[in-house]
Amino acid sequence: MLNIEKRITDTKAVFALEGRLDTVTSPDLENALKASIEKITDLELDLGKLEYISSAGLRVLLSAHKTMNKQGSMKVTNVNSAISEIFEVTGFSDILTIE
Amino acid sequence: MSETNDRVEIKLKGRIDSGNAAAIETEIQQKLSGKENVPVLFDMTDLEYISSAGLRILLRVKKSFPDLTITNASSEVYEILEMTGFTEMMKVEKAYRVMSVEGCEVIGIGANGIVYRVDQDTVVKAYKNADALEDIQHEREVARLALILGIPTAISYDVVRVGDSYGSVFELLNARPFSSILAEHPEKIDWCAKEYVDLLKKIHGTLVPEGKLPDLKDTVIGWAEFMQEYLPKDKGEKLLSMIKAVPHDDHMVHGDYHTKNVMLQGDEVLLIDMDTLAVGHPIFELASVFNSLQGYAELDHSLLKSFQGYDYEIGREFLTKVLSLYLGTTNPKKIQEVEDKARIVGYTRMIRRSIRRKGLETEQGRAEIAFWKERLLKLLDEYDTLLFTPDELVLDAVEENLPLLQEFIEKHLEETNCPAKAKMQIELASEEIFVNIVNYAYAPEKGTATVRVEVSDDPVCVTITFLDRGVPYDPLAKEDPDVTLSAEDREIGGLGIFLTKKTMDDVSYEYKDGQNILTLKKNL
Repeated sequence: MLNIEKRITDTKAVFALEGRLDTVTSPDLENALKASIEKITDLELDLGKLEYISSAGLRVLLSAHKTMNKQGSMKVTNVNSAISEIFEVTGFSDILTIE
Repeated sequence: MSETNDRVEIKLKGRIDSGNAAAIETEIQQKLSGKENVPVLFDMTDLEYISSAGLRILLRVKKSFPDLTITNASSEVYEILEMTGFTEMMKVEKAYRVMSVEGCEVIGIGANGIVYRVDQDTVVKAYKNADALEDIQHEREVARLALILGIPTAISYDVVRVGDSYGSVFELLNARPFSSILAEHPEKIDWCAKEYVDLLKKIHGTLVPEGKLPDLKDTVIGWAEFMQEYLPKDKGEKLLSMIKAVPHDDHMVHGDYHTKNVMLQGDEVLLIDMDTLAVGHPIFELASVFNSLQGYAELDHSLLKSFQGYDYEIGREFLTKVLSLYLGTTNPKKIQEVEDKARIVGYTRMIRRSIRRKGLETEQGRAEIAFWKERLLKLLDEYDTLLFTPDELVLDAVEENLPLLQEFIEKHLEETNCPAKAKMQIELASEEIFVNIVNYAYAPEKGTATVRVEVSDDPVCVTITFLDRGVPYDPLAKEDPDVTLSAEDREIGGLGIFLTKKTMDDVSYEYKDGQNILTLKKNL
């Protein structure tokens, strides 16, 4: 299960994720991002309530990061230690802006 | 020639060839004239030779009298009948060699007969009942089936007359039953347990073509039905429904797997006494394993020594080792649980058996039955199922089943004090492997994946094994992605297996018996 809470003001968007970002739920995030980020220059992904991420979730994050690099910036916030370690291992901590 | 009202018996003597065939046929026809559809028996004890002219007589008789039997065919005559295909067309019984077992060492006592060592490399299993030929035929057939399916066993090469009954002759060179190894060398108990379990697993891993062997579950249901009138109504019903709830299983079970039926010959471990061979769920087999090592001697410990030759305590130790190896766990709770479930079926069997042998009419019998019954009732209070392999999940390899897999793994991890981080890593690695099977193993066809979880103590370690029957593919052989590249240079994908390798303590792959087997290990 993945809940996505979107807060959009002008060109700034915050996506708060709750639950699991896995093979089954990643397409939901991918579609939600696609539908909303066209005019966004400042994207925040709040992972405070995200418990789990697999490579399918990482792929969505990487692709969002690439898109945002062209039109603005993206940051990832409130990462728990288990997910943080996944970012470390995969080199994502060097790619993503993590707060 | 002699005749009775219900059959005609014809003795054939000397030689039958084209010279005397016509005369003999006339004589036979006189005997059969006016008769219809009666069984006809040709006794060939004194027949030395039969030519094709003689065989044609048999065929003509067979046409009018389909129920035709030939008995006591000498090996020479039998060979002619076999070569010409007559043994396929009619019932032909050989003249059996007579074998004496007087003074021979008894090396085994089974349900249907006694096994004697006749000389250094020959043993004979003498059957108890006089009409044992069908049993012997059955045992030879199932032994042959087992051998073809890869189970090491001895097949009898001859059938002989032993007293008023029959015996099966086997070649067993210097073979020793595991019971005597355990009795004389208790220090070899670990070795015995390992070999005993390896063979047991091999039997239980052998898929039997449908209809070739009886279903042991049917037999066990019969025991439980018999027990209904001897148990309180609710307990009897619970027992029956627990047995009925055990799923049908097409894998082989031996049915009487005790340490006298497992032999060491040279360095090969052989299974004997195949007449109880069946298919069924392993719990039914473990029940008889329990009975043979403990159950039947639980009240009077000396019984184990007199049957198996070793002490009750050795039986106890051996059973625990066997269950531990069989279940692949050292967790005493798990071992106890499976032993208890085996006891439920085991006590049911022994109580029924004792009652049928008029156990209720003797003091000793009544004491035994009461003893077993008390234990059975207690176990029926404690358990609701006989199943013990929820450590395995078989599911269709489709993406939509990922939540099922997650739930299964989570359930197992709940039983451990698994830290959140390790929990996520185990779930992550499992997902990556499963998705890999979904995407590559069977595409574009469909198939299943089998997942096994094992949690071992000391040190606590979770092992998850994935099996599929798709194309052989080693995902670990793929080169790791370069995780130092910048976002623009990174490929989207290829991270799943890499993450699996990085977060697990051990990841291994093998292709065996037509299966991709991928094993994950995580120390907690």
